[in-house]
Amino acid sequence: MSKRKFNLYFIPELVNEPITYILVKDFDLKFNILRAEVKEKGGQLLIEVDGKPAQITKGVAYLQGMGVKVEELNEFVTKDEERCTNCGMCVSICPADAIEMDRQNWKVIFHLDKCIACGLCVSSCPPKAMKLKA
Amino acid sequence: MLKRTYEEINAKIEKGDAVVMTAEEAIQLVESQGIEKATKEVDVVTTGTFGAMCSSGAFINFGHAEPPIRMSKVWLNDVPAYTGLAAVDAYIGATEEREGDGHEYGGAHVIESLIAGEAVHLRATGRGTDCYPRRDIDTYISLKSVNQAYMYNPRNAYQNYGVATNSSEKALFTYMGKLLPHYGNATYSSAGQLSPLLKDPQMRTIGMGTRIFLGGGIGYVAWEGTQFKTNIPYRNGVPSSSGRTLAVIGDLRGMSTEFIRALDFHGYGLSMAVGIGIPIPILDQDMMTCAARTDEEIFAPVLDYSIQSRNRKPMMEVSYAQLRSGTVELFGKKVKTSSLSSYYKAKVIAERLKKMINEKQFTLTRPAVAMPTDRSQKVLEVCSKEEVL
Repeated sequence: MSKRKFNLYFIPELVNEPITYILVKDFDLKFNILRAEVKEKGGQLLIEVDGKPAQITKGVAYLQGMGVKVEELNEFVTKDEERCTNCGMCVSICPADAIEMDRQNWKVIFHLDKCIACGLCVSSCPPKAMKLKA
Repeated sequence: MLKRTYEEINAKIEKGDAVVMTAEEAIQLVESQGIEKATKEVDVVTTGTFGAMCSSGAFINFGHAEPPIRMSKVWLNDVPAYTGLAAVDAYIGATEEREGDGHEYGGAHVIESLIAGEAVHLRATGRGTDCYPRRDIDTYISLKSVNQAYMYNPRNAYQNYGVATNSSEKALFTYMGKLLPHYGNATYSSAGQLSPLLKDPQMRTIGMGTRIFLGGGIGYVAWEGTQFKTNIPYRNGVPSSSGRTLAVIGDLRGMSTEFIRALDFHGYGLSMAVGIGIPIPILDQDMMTCAARTDEEIFAPVLDYSIQSRNRKPMMEVSYAQLRSGTVELFGKKVKTSSLSSYYKAKVIAERLKKMINEKQFTLTRPAVAMPTDRSQKVLEVCSKEEVL
């Protein structure tokens, strides 16, 4: 079993398709919705998928076949260690507890595995050390 | 009672015999050995802070062009610099924003670039006079090419500061960072037990002319900082709200981007993080008592930034130990805290200053003039010519 995060982008015509149901039923994938948005240009769903690696690959292929743009999120947000001053402004902003202050050495630790790619740390970082991956 | 003089301490530094400790180390020593023994043992306690200090900037003298120009407008990397000075002098303010394209780049970035050794684009215009016939220039400068480039910061190193929170329905974008609605977080900005002016709360040893660590190099206290005030509440002998400040001066040459960093507060504007360290001479037991105050003993007021008035009253006081634990309790709710000043960098600065003293690169100075002991902060009222006199 492995866990991976994907950002799914839907064109407006696909918003009513029960694709998450198919992911469970046909591909035996467990998933957690981390963030969902519907806008004029379509929808966006950030999911964490848990399942057999082969099944995940098949699920992704199904989604792409349906016209869903799939973007894997291994490094949505990055921390520039040189730019970071370890102030900790991001710590209280992060809704996912993905950023923590190490009280031994007073450095800020970023847990990528907990990141839900909301981007709140990016706008709240004064020295602009937290960056969206281009 | 033990007494020590600046001369004695400097003589020990010169001989390599001085006992120098960071404020954190001094706290541990006092806890294990007691105040009397610690006073005898330690000559100097080093402090440090690294936080947003908006009231910062640098004077630059560019040198004369051929033919010369009297610069009346100056832009550095498209950031306007103040030029109501002599022909080729300018002051670049840290919070000044670049013209044209939004708010992400400004004076603080220019200063950071100069310190990094980078080339900076200089544009200037003048009206053309008999002594200064030239009307414009477009060139590049660097710290190598200019005559003088020195930081002069009118207000740095605040002695304590309020904790910011937000009771309102919507997020606030402030100089204290993003404040989430309904007391969603609380932000603070002092190095607490490492912060220079909290370790000499009455400023017995910090005055005009005091040599300090500034931005990675050596600087000096130039004057009382703007908004300097002494009529403040105290707890355990330490100011429990914002009090004294410093105006500081130092050569940009010799500074490091490790200790000067441009900041961008989303929705508020630009600022500059400045690293300052000050050595506290342990002249007697009272100095040691102050220098060894812990985060448990230093308190800050909590302010609701949704009240947009200079008259907002503190809701409560919290200690830096509570703030640094990661959460504080406000009205029965556990609220996550964030610091805007970097405790990590404060530690690095206190260590660096200790090393400089141990390596005889830094000796202590007696203040040329003591700071005022009776200052209150005035407000600005809209009034008539007669009323103001």
